[in-house]
Amino acid sequence: MKKNFKLLTIASAITLGVGLSGSVKADAVGIADIVGDQASTDDIVSYGLGPRGQRYSPLAIINKDNIKNLFPVWSFSFGGEKQRGQESQPLIKDGVMYVTGSYSRMWAIDIATGDELWQYDARLPEGILPCCDVVNRGAAILGDKVFFGTLDAKIVALDAKTGKVVWRKKIADFEAGYSYTAAPLIVPTDAHGPLLITGNSGGEFGVVGEVQARNPETGDLVWTRPVIEGHMGTMNGVETTMTGTANESWPGDMWKNGGGAPWLGGTYDPTSKLAYFGTGNPAPWNSYLRPGDNKWTSSRIAINPENGEIEWGFQTTPHDGWDYDGVNEFVAFDMEKDGKTIQAGATADRNGFFYVLDRNNGDFISAKPFVKNITWAKGIDENGRPIWDPENRPGNPAESADGKKGKSIFAVPSFLGGKNWMPMAYSQDTSMFYIPSNEWGMDIWNEPVTYKKGAAYLGAGFTITPIFDDYIGSLKAMDPATGEIKWEYKNKAPLWGGVLTTAGGLVFTGTPEGYIKAFDDETGEELWKFQTGTGIVSSPITWEQDGEQYLTIVTGWGGAVPLWGGEVAKFVSYLNQGGSVWTFKIPKQLASK
Amino acid sequence: MKLLASAIALCTALLSFVVQARPLDEVTDSGIITVFVYKDYAPYSWKDENGEPTGIDVDIARHFAKSLDVEVRFLVRGADENVDDDLRVNLWKGDLIHRKFADVMMHVPYDKELDVRNEFIALMAPYFLEEMAVVTNVAQMPVLETFGRFLNKPIAVEVDTAGDFFLSNAFRGKLHQSIRRGRTFADVIDQYIKEEVPAAMGSKAQTEWIAHKATGIESKIFQPPMPGIVRKSWPVGIGIKHDSRDLGYALADVLTELVESGELEKISAKYGVSFQAPEY
Repeated sequence: MKKNFKLLTIASAITLGVGLSGSVKADAVGIADIVGDQASTDDIVSYGLGPRGQRYSPLAIINKDNIKNLFPVWSFSFGGEKQRGQESQPLIKDGVMYVTGSYSRMWAIDIATGDELWQYDARLPEGILPCCDVVNRGAAILGDKVFFGTLDAKIVALDAKTGKVVWRKKIADFEAGYSYTAAPLIVPTDAHGPLLITGNSGGEFGVVGEVQARNPETGDLVWTRPVIEGHMGTMNGVETTMTGTANESWPGDMWKNGGGAPWLGGTYDPTSKLAYFGTGNPAPWNSYLRPGDNKWTSSRIAINPENGEIEWGFQTTPHDGWDYDGVNEFVAFDMEKDGKTIQAGATADRNGFFYVLDRNNGDFISAKPFVKNITWAKGIDENGRPIWDPENRPGNPAESADGKKGKSIFAVPSFLGGKNWMPMAYSQDTSMFYIPSNEWGMDIWNEPVTYKKGAAYLGAGFTITPIFDDYIGSLKAMDPATGEIKWEYKNKAPLWGGVLTTAGGLVFTGTPEGYIKAFDDETGEELWKFQTGTGIVSSPITWEQDGEQYLTIVTGWGGAVPLWGGEVAKFVSYLNQGGSVWTFKIPKQLASK
Repeated sequence: MKLLASAIALCTALLSFVVQARPLDEVTDSGIITVFVYKDYAPYSWKDENGEPTGIDVDIARHFAKSLDVEVRFLVRGADENVDDDLRVNLWKGDLIHRKFADVMMHVPYDKELDVRNEFIALMAPYFLEEMAVVTNVAQMPVLETFGRFLNKPIAVEVDTAGDFFLSNAFRGKLHQSIRRGRTFADVIDQYIKEEVPAAMGSKAQTEWIAHKATGIESKIFQPPMPGIVRKSWPVGIGIKHDSRDLGYALADVLTELVESGELEKISAKYGVSFQAPEY
């Protein structure tokens, strides 16, 4: 590789000035690079190894035969006193890795040496109450800037070379309960040029889910699209259209505070030219207070990035009563079925079902369970609606106002989901999805009296229970055309990290026990593992540099799982925190063997 | 994103956390007492236009400091999903980001079960009796015998509060079309003052505060039957760390003095609130 550009070493208040040991070529990232990211193997300039989020790499330098020779090249510690969950997927461009960490931090690292180039620490104000750990899931890159969201619901553009702030904008008001943890999405448009798209997050009552598109150069808002019926979208600050019809699936004024935060961010498909977002659970959690489907909560929606209009929506859990916070990613893929190629998309929902939809119009194609013993629904009907089991809907707390503990129900999956945030992967070689899932259920009962903000209140108690004695985590290979599960790898602790698959016939994922593992994509046989010293809850990446294939995983135990106790604590209580980046390759002296 | 989760606190605590005791002598030696009060919680606690904490709970806390001869610092934060979470975040474990917590938390319901299931804290010194009530604009709603009146008249309430929960469930959901939920209590006051609603619901002290603020409106407080309400009244006290009880006793003495001297009644009256001593 020609090395014709030397990056400058620049020190600033937030830069721990360290020079590059080598010199590398640097071209600014263009929108075409992002759209074509999956095919190009020498960079990773999008979350999901391509905007579709297939997490498939065409690299085969590392394969089933030589993976035994995969060894660490370097490890990089995030340092500081702050650890907790590391859920980030790094980006790679021109010999530099951009990686985010817990507490809204970001680093640029020289890939050749593992040396730090710069560090950015967001100054987090008082009063942020993130519900489910202080994670960040990754950055976006375009031109000479890298972008990431911070826990105080802001989005920051940094100079990729120096880590200095170019602009900083508010997504929402953290004092009203909003936050931000997802990787932003960058998509092309004819009308506006490239747009930087984010959702929002916040579990508190009163939050309204919204997707926002910005000009990446300035951070200025271009359009906004609330996901709850009755709210108005905007374009350049002017109201455009209403999302759905007010009160169609919500009673009274409840739509004003309806929830549905699309907190996991989105994917984009270059053929349909649609951006797909999953939306969170409705508020309040007590479903008896909000009769109706409560659109578009616990749904997948497809947005036309040209105008911010919702092209279609598909609700996986209408009238959610279990906290099946269906933000799960929607992954576009072409499905061969009955001799035809279907422009499909798939999503493995928190509610335990794996859905295949027509990605152009949202038409329902199929839904199959990907976890065992689902109880909340008896199945999914031919229109894609759940066949509820009324016995397994949590009871109305108002009925326990007599001071007695209300009835308890057992629902599978638990509210942490058949699959939570961790992204699955799709192999273009095997045509299979590799789904990181968990086998657990929850008991929910009404609490006679609890208190909120100093006042007596009716709530619910719950506890999460594993379904099986010896494992919770389950990595499954599923054929999307048939719903057949081809193989399963069982893991004692719940799986909480993303998956990567490659043309080398490999499936990679990390475990809370600290291992990064590689499996045979056809059989599920475990071919390789490495102990990183702390739990893994992030998504691996792979790329090529100077003819060698690299693998990187961010490590650091945390996320939502350790916040919940009960029976699950036994599976995870001994795990230690950390915060590092591990990078692997096959050493040159072994590469030819 | 999350269900009510009182179970969370205990588990994390038992695994990895040791509570830092702050008994009385440490507080007096340090010269500072840190008091948690809720934000946006008039008339008990809120920040005024200058950002200064104000309200009944704030005034009480200033008496604590005076009595111990220390400086008072306020930790002002919003409410989490439930009081169990608030106790964890504000009193013994701290928030995830800055790890800050207070020596004493104001306005904690004095309830044995709440005390028992939060083993790292102790509840003490009930100083106020909370009740649920409705304030009406007399010109528009001179009397209020039952909540049936809100089948066709709007009523404002802060979203996701005890009042909201009661109204949403009342008459099997028949009041849904009449509930005007404010995102904050200030929104509720605003609706009432602008006469967009003839009534608002909250704790009795809150409804009295609304009447106090709505100077141009003749208001009246009602407490009609509330079928299905969890508690029509309950005492509130203070929370402290379980291993700092002597601090709690010292503050309980201050509260007793405030109640017996009539000072708490005077403080309450400043905010238009009729003080009600809790039954012990």
